[in-house]
Formats: sequence, structure tokens, C-alpha cells
Amino acid sequence: PGRAWPGFGVPRGAISHFRQEEAQAIDQELFTEYKFSVDQLMELAGLSCATAIAKAYPPSSFTTSQPAVLVVCGPGNNGGDGLVCTRHLKMFGYQPTVYYPKHPSKPLFEGLITQCKKMDIPFLPEFPAEAAFIDELYGLVVDAIFGFSFKGAVREPFGSILSTLERVTVPIASIDIPSGWDVEKGKADGLQPDMLISLTAPKKAAMHFTGRYHFLGGRFVPLALQEKYALNLPAYPGTDCVLQLT
Amino acid sequence: PAVSPQAFPLPSLPRRQPTVLVVCGPAQNGAIGLVCARHLRSFDYEPTIFYPKRSPDPLYRDFTTQCEKMDIPFLSYLPTEVQLINDAYNAVVDAVLGAEAEAAEGTEPCAAILATLRHIRIPIVSLDVPSGWAAEAGGSGDISPDVLVSLAAPKECARRFLGRQHFVAGRFLPYDVRRKFGLDAPEYPGTECVVAL
Repeated sequence: PGRAWPGFGVPRGAISHFRQEEAQAIDQELFTEYKFSVDQLMELAGLSCATAIAKAYPPSSFTTSQPAVLVVCGPGNNGGDGLVCTRHLKMFGYQPTVYYPKHPSKPLFEGLITQCKKMDIPFLPEFPAEAAFIDELYGLVVDAIFGFSFKGAVREPFGSILSTLERVTVPIASIDIPSGWDVEKGKADGLQPDMLISLTAPKKAAMHFTGRYHFLGGRFVPLALQEKYALNLPAYPGTDCVLQLT
Repeated sequence: PAVSPQAFPLPSLPRRQPTVLVVCGPAQNGAIGLVCARHLRSFDYEPTIFYPKRSPDPLYRDFTTQCEKMDIPFLSYLPTEVQLINDAYNAVVDAVLGAEAEAAEGTEPCAAILATLRHIRIPIVSLDVPSGWAAEAGGSGDISPDVLVSLAAPKECARRFLGRQHFVAGRFLPYDVRRKFGLDAPEYPGTECVVAL
């Protein structure tokens, strides 16, 4: 069930797209019933993101002299996913730089920052003032600002950051939800990323995604949970932790 | 987690069902076995776990819950009749003892488990070190794994490994840790987390 189709070119209607509450319910169940820790799932999610990026934008494809990537991390778990992704990108031969203006002072996030810093991943003190600077210095931007729990107004400094990112011409890869988008309805005048990595299962916003690459990541959902929520996930290829949907 | 499929791809398994027995010891090596079992399950293998002495560590207890909730069966005893194991499973994952275990090797239930594993005929995949090798200088009583997965970097006793495939799973090690300990930095293909030595 749900494993009949090959991974590539699955018709959008077949795979389920979730509402915000459903996505939150699945997450909760993974933590409370299955006893996964946030660390475990965040590590697997971040690894998926880096792997998907490596498939769509291999280091050799960059026109900048080094495969430089800017990772913009928001204040919650999406930002945490971004930090994990950054560390794996470094392992995969990229040169990532992080901008992380606001974070919870929890050991999980402090640990992730330390792991990045100890691997010589720079943290910018300020966000590049203009989109043109980003285009010049980096071949890719990873948007790890807001995830599936995002609701309401965008608080600074993220409003200005998103305005700048909307004018960037290098590709943007968004983790789980293009930041600033309503998790269900999208945002027609908002960020238009080239890649979306949906974690666990796509959310309704993904139906409004028009970029080139849509990957599924977060290969940790037990079969029983997939069936309970009728995820209808196509089969991941072999032991890959990502699945290309488009 | 990626290793068993590389060493034993699903289509190549001799039995009709892709069954794998994962034997987990009481400490960290066993906990790694639990995580391995969970990933094998998501890769469509049919793991069964033997975990006779469960760790009280809350993290490891959660690993156990995750496996249970994924309907991975836990055996209540390990058959001493090795033919039963040879017939039921395609391979055994040895996650009994790691590099740190010296005292544990002689105590139950590890001693009995190792005694059984010495006689099975299906392939053994050992995690980090073949269980029991760390304590012994080398003897006829050792188990003989087909595949060894060294974690972080190969251990001293891995020099004696003569099996078919030796993998290293150490891509997560930062460069300065490697430098500090004089560890080789093998080239990992693509985005793989293991490399065959």
C-alpha cells in the first residue's frame, strides 16, 4: 500500500498533502508514542536536506569558484534542521556559511552551533545588505527560516531578510515550507524557491510550489504511522534518505 | 545503517523473506544495533532482535520503544540449536560487544551468545569490532564475521579481520578530530556515509 509507484514523476494527486494541524499531530505522535527525540529526527531531517541539495546542485555545478552556500536559519526547529544540513553540506564538499540571528538558548541548538563552529563553518555577524551581494558570493541559498508551525506575522529581522531573499537570483532551497508562506495556502507574492524539501510528507503549501525540484525527506516514519495518517508515500529508492518527487 | 544493504542487497538474499537477526549486547554497541535494526526495517528487511540484557539508559530505552512500535519482534531466548538460526535468517548483525568491553565478555549472557555465534554458518556483520575480539589477543575461540563495520575509525583488533568486506562509517568525524588522532580520511563516494576499505 502506497508503495506501488516508482519514485520519479508521481502524480501530485496521489501523495497526500497535509494541513498544518495534521503535520503537527504526526510530529507529536513520533515524539510521544514512538519516543523519538528531537535530536534524532532533526539529524535525519537535516541529512535529508543536505542529500537532496547534493543531488540537485552537485558541487561541480557551481559557477562560483568554490561551492559556496548561504544557510539562513530561523528561530525554531526549521533553523535547527538548517544547522544540521549545514554540517552535512560541509562533509559533502560544500563551503557553507550560516546566518543565525535568533535562537533558543537550549542545549540542542547550542550543541548544533558548536558542531558547526568546530568544523570551521563561519557565522555571519550581519545579513548581506543587498541581494546582489548574495548573488555574487554564493551559488545557493538554503532557506531554513520558518517551518510547518509558522503562523501569523513575520517578525524582524526575518521580514527584511525575506524581502532581500525575494530579490536574489541564485537558487533557493527551502526546508519543508518556503518561509513566509502560509503552510496551507502558500503566498503568491512571497519567496519563490527553486527547490523544496518536504519533510515527512508534503504540506498543502507544496501544491503551490512552482520551482524545479521537489524532494521528500525525513525517511523515519514507521509504516504503521504512514498507514494511520494515509500518507500514501511512494517508495524511497533503495536506502536513499530522499526521494525526488519532481 | 547503510551497510547491510550494501553488503547484502535485498535481491541477493538466499531466503524468501529478507530476515536478519540483530543480537544486541547490554551497552553502547547493543544500542547501535537497535538503531541499525530500525533502519533495516525502513529499508524493507525483516529484522528480529535478541536483546536479553536491556540497558537502563533512557536514550537506549527509547531506541527499544522505537523498535517495538515498528513491530520488530524481540526474541525471548536465543536458540542454542544453531541450525534453527541458520534456517530462519539470512544474516546476523553482531552488536553484542564493542571496543570498550573487556569485563563483559566473560559474563552472561554475552558468553553464551558468543558461544552460539561461533557455530552459525550464515554471515555475520559485526558492528565496530567482532564481539569478544577486543578483550582477546587472538585465539581460536573468536567469532568470524563476514563483514565488519568500523565506527568512526578501525580499531586495533580490526587488523586481524579476514572477512569479505570491511566498511568504515566515519563520515561524521570533523577534520580536526581526525588530525588530532592521526586518522586517515578516506574518500566517501557521493553522499554515502560508509566506504569499503
